[in-house]
Amino acid sequence: MKDPYEILGVARTASADDLQKAYRKLAKKLHPDLNPGNAEAEEKFKEIAGAYDLVGDAEKRKRFDSGEIDASGAERPRQNYYRDYAASEQEHPYADNSGFADFMESDDSFAELLRRSARAQANSRGHDLEFRLPIEFIESIAGANKRLTLPDGGTLDVTIPPGIVEGQVLRLRGKGAPGSGKGGFGDALIEVEIRPDRSFTRQGDDIYLEMPVSLTEAVLGARIKVPTPTGTVTMAVPKGSNTGTILRLRGKGAPNHAGGHGDQFVTLKVMLPKAPDPELEAFVAGWESGKAYNPRGEAAS
Amino acid sequence: MKWSKQEFLSRAGLGHDTLQAWIEEEWLIPDNSSAEISFSDIDIARARLIRDLQLDFGVNEAGVGVILNLLDQLYGLRRTMMELRRAARTTSE
Repeated sequence: MKDPYEILGVARTASADDLQKAYRKLAKKLHPDLNPGNAEAEEKFKEIAGAYDLVGDAEKRKRFDSGEIDASGAERPRQNYYRDYAASEQEHPYADNSGFADFMESDDSFAELLRRSARAQANSRGHDLEFRLPIEFIESIAGANKRLTLPDGGTLDVTIPPGIVEGQVLRLRGKGAPGSGKGGFGDALIEVEIRPDRSFTRQGDDIYLEMPVSLTEAVLGARIKVPTPTGTVTMAVPKGSNTGTILRLRGKGAPNHAGGHGDQFVTLKVMLPKAPDPELEAFVAGWESGKAYNPRGEAAS
Repeated sequence: MKWSKQEFLSRAGLGHDTLQAWIEEEWLIPDNSSAEISFSDIDIARARLIRDLQLDFGVNEAGVGVILNLLDQLYGLRRTMMELRRAARTTSE
């Protein structure tokens, strides 16, 4: 064990004041927390701290000077320094990324790396909370304002943007669990579940609907009322329409990313009268060209 | 490891009033999320550092705040450097 006076760089006759000055001067330079990347500093700091523990205390110094105790065992037991936690990957409330906030704002790949690592070490931000929110098909196309009741009794107002699709996740910033330290609230993540509709279906931005029409409307043509998710519209059924005829309502589909809308396609289904109609029967019985038409083609019997 | 207030005070060698003052200065940010305030290992290490700064180095109150702020930025940079090193390693593999 080296001589404590030598370690502190003072004479054996140094005053307590000088000893303290010498120790402080070295400690300021070598404190491990002020030298996070320097392993040597920690070793040296332990040495000077041990030396100062011994000769910085008047009672111990007297006993050391008289040879009663020696310098062995004077080293401070290894304590965990702040640096052992502060730079670790574990989240803690003291983390501060402002030292490179300016780098992070630029637009190059280095900035992206910084942002990613900043996210990775987020300052104990609260957890994101996940919810499922069932909505009606029509709400998914037209948009809606919904209120979600949370497990703890609170509520969350959610604005459903028009055109949302099944499984899409809405992020409400700061509506999640509270964080600790400087970390703010997490986000609420709301997964939208769209209830199937009895009449509408959706493919991409387009909406499909089957629409029954009467025989008269199909044969002679008509203007009929057709529901769309955003309201009822009038549609022209051309003369001679058939079951399976598809008509397009332009722009009545779901809003798309391009800022436009898809279309609504209406598939016609010709319906005969529910009750047998003697007049119709009489007409069909005398309708020669109707008998010649085989919709199943030649092969069918 | 979580410590109660009593355990923290004895481990960090602090008095109750000092602790209150340090929390008000935001030198220490203990976990307040549950009814009982609790401290972690990093709080103890940070308290020891503050004590070193004040008692051993003779840093005054204003100085401690400045040093802690700069240190936290330094450690933030070191954490980011480590993240970047890992990211670079993953990319090159």
